[in-house]
Amino acid sequence: MDVVSVDRLQFAFTIMFHYLFPIGTMGLAPFIAWYTFQAMRGDAQAEAAARFWTKIFAINFATGVVTGIPMEFQFGTNWAVFSARTGGVIGQPLAMEGVYAFFLESVFLGVLLYGKRVVAPAFYLISAILVWLGSWLSGFFIVATDAWMQHPVGYAVGSHGRIELKSLTAVLFSPFAQWQFAHVLTGAIVAGGFVVCGVGAYYLLARRDEDLGRRFVASGAVVACVFSALAIFPTGDRNSADVTTYQPVKLAAMEGLFASEKGAPLAIIGMPDTQNQTLIDPVFVPDVLSFLAYGNFRANVNGLRTYATELWPPVELTYYAYHMMVGLGTVLLGLAALAVLLLWRKQLFRARWLLWLLMLAMPFPYIANEAGWVVTEVGRQPWIVYGLIKTGTAVSGNVAAGETIFTLIGFVGMYFVLGVLFLLLTLREIGIGPAAKGAPVVAAVESTI
Amino acid sequence: MSTTAFVLLAVMVTAYVLLDGYDLGTAAITPLIARTSEERAASMESIGPFWNGNEVWLIAAGASLFALFPQAYASSFSGFYLPFMVVLWLLMFRGIALELRSHFVSEMWHGFWDFCFAASSTLLILLFGIALGNIVRGLPLDANGYFLGTFGFLLNPYALGVGALAVAAVAQHGATWVRLRIDGPPAQRSRTLIGMLWWIVLALYVATSAATIAQRWSLPAHGVHAWLAFMPVVSLATLIALRVANARGHAGRAFAASSIFLASLLVVSAGTMYPYILPGYPAQRSGLSITDAAPSAVALATTLAVVIVGLCVVVAYTVLVTRRMMRKITV
Repeated sequence: MDVVSVDRLQFAFTIMFHYLFPIGTMGLAPFIAWYTFQAMRGDAQAEAAARFWTKIFAINFATGVVTGIPMEFQFGTNWAVFSARTGGVIGQPLAMEGVYAFFLESVFLGVLLYGKRVVAPAFYLISAILVWLGSWLSGFFIVATDAWMQHPVGYAVGSHGRIELKSLTAVLFSPFAQWQFAHVLTGAIVAGGFVVCGVGAYYLLARRDEDLGRRFVASGAVVACVFSALAIFPTGDRNSADVTTYQPVKLAAMEGLFASEKGAPLAIIGMPDTQNQTLIDPVFVPDVLSFLAYGNFRANVNGLRTYATELWPPVELTYYAYHMMVGLGTVLLGLAALAVLLLWRKQLFRARWLLWLLMLAMPFPYIANEAGWVVTEVGRQPWIVYGLIKTGTAVSGNVAAGETIFTLIGFVGMYFVLGVLFLLLTLREIGIGPAAKGAPVVAAVESTI
Repeated sequence: MSTTAFVLLAVMVTAYVLLDGYDLGTAAITPLIARTSEERAASMESIGPFWNGNEVWLIAAGASLFALFPQAYASSFSGFYLPFMVVLWLLMFRGIALELRSHFVSEMWHGFWDFCFAASSTLLILLFGIALGNIVRGLPLDANGYFLGTFGFLLNPYALGVGALAVAAVAQHGATWVRLRIDGPPAQRSRTLIGMLWWIVLALYVATSAATIAQRWSLPAHGVHAWLAFMPVVSLATLIALRVANARGHAGRAFAASSIFLASLLVVSAGTMYPYILPGYPAQRSGLSITDAAPSAVALATTLAVVIVGLCVVVAYTVLVTRRMMRKITV
């Protein structure tokens, strides 16, 4: 394998594994702050809920931190040319993530985990809110970094091809970053909603912890429904509009559109055949792609053939990832809306078939989130910084493919163990349940004090 | 301005060593000072709320290096590819050991993670020490500042000596922390441990300092800065103060003395490197200087402003939280 492919594989593997955990922290943090707030007002049930979700959050956070450290450093180890050329720009949001978000989250999570009996309730609540704020800010700075790679702004090209920063505010508040961040965040909250709802559904189906189970199902379903809708409109729609404007090749690959068309159809399903430049067995909705892209059913949408093949991203991967994300997003919205409807008619807790679906739905928002990132990043190829630097020229010159394969094998082994431990501990916490009497957040430690 | 950036990075690294140092050190000495499972749990509890925030100093310093000296970030991280990955894996291992330990109440589970935690922490201190030793000693670099040597090159006697000093001094730092936070047998054992470690720290300090001076003194090009000559006085004075405070039972003063001692070592290291962020090897060759590695003035000024303001806020709330959470643990 060549160096570039191995480096990309390693980055893809480590980032996709890592991202499973920020989804959990960004999605669960608001629930924890909300339950902590209610607990402070004397709601004993909410206190149990806050304690329970804090434990799950802590496992998530720890796994997220340890898998996040390699991300921060992989730019330097594997992508040295990219780092040396763009560090003046993307080092900024990354440094800000550390200083403004990660510290906040880490320092106050210490209070959430160890401080329940040490600090005043108000201070505890503020800590919960700051952990929430930290997790979202962290997401913002990372998305701002990525958005700059999608649509570079606020820079100038200096000597030795170095990209120099012109304006930090332009980078942080780039038009691409705004809707991308909103979309990433709604995606994470949808996942958080489905997890809370799904765990509640499990308790109802297992006929245990039913009071809290109903509460989890209700709040999770409402959040999942509202944010699934927001993920499609406006955030998903506006994010696609930015892609249409700034990355038309990516749009064509996402939609599997080879020939330019006025009144371009939307392919609901179909398999792209890049050899013959056509979709196999497609199901089309006429004119809709033109409308979605430009708000006009007769607008012209450029197909892939408009662009030189060396500027195409990998079409199949981009196309399938996009269709998975959109398909799952639509199904999940339908499921959550149905749950909210039955909740409103006061039938949800008896509709065991729906509780089954809600429980089994838990992994799918994660898949949709990951698929969305695959569209974003694979669709950006062959560029590492869109229009500026090609991915193939950005890797470390002094690291051989063999070295990276060695460390990739190491990462696969390490992450396998981590994944097993994560599932084991999370499922165990769910098994113990929220009602476990007086179970402190850090059980073994506090029992000794 | 690149000097300010250099100082800022040195401050961040020093903060990392002092803060993560006490939790790494505590982890490393836990098998020596804690006998029962309650004592081990207390030792973990003493660092539990803080280790994560402490480790962020490393991540923030790494990201700031990326922003302030992109070329140095790119060359050092890709140059030390394999050792770096080992450090990453150890950091990951240590994090999961600490976080996962408390989720099962089982002797076997605890025993396993306690061992992993102590072993990975000790190895990390050693590797960080070896890295620092090599950077101070200088590295064979090509014209763009990329590392040309091999893994074997990094395992030279000088760097290994600095690694050993790091293990001893950080373990001692951890022991002063345990005394500060725990009431009970682990604190007494830490006191004895400091008494023994102190001699090792002193011996290694004298040896590595002599080697550093012998290497650098003869080099006018590197300009030995006059104030650096003053630092060994500080180091030795705080080392003696540490011993006195420990013997008299002043836990707070012992911790402070240990902190200043570690800081003085890092100041000397940074001062010896300046104006290079990656000094060359052999020492006559020039390395990657801070002006070569820095980005445009706009980028540098922006990062400095943003990071310094942010760190002031971080320090404020870290102090606040630490004070609220600093309850003495009794075993």
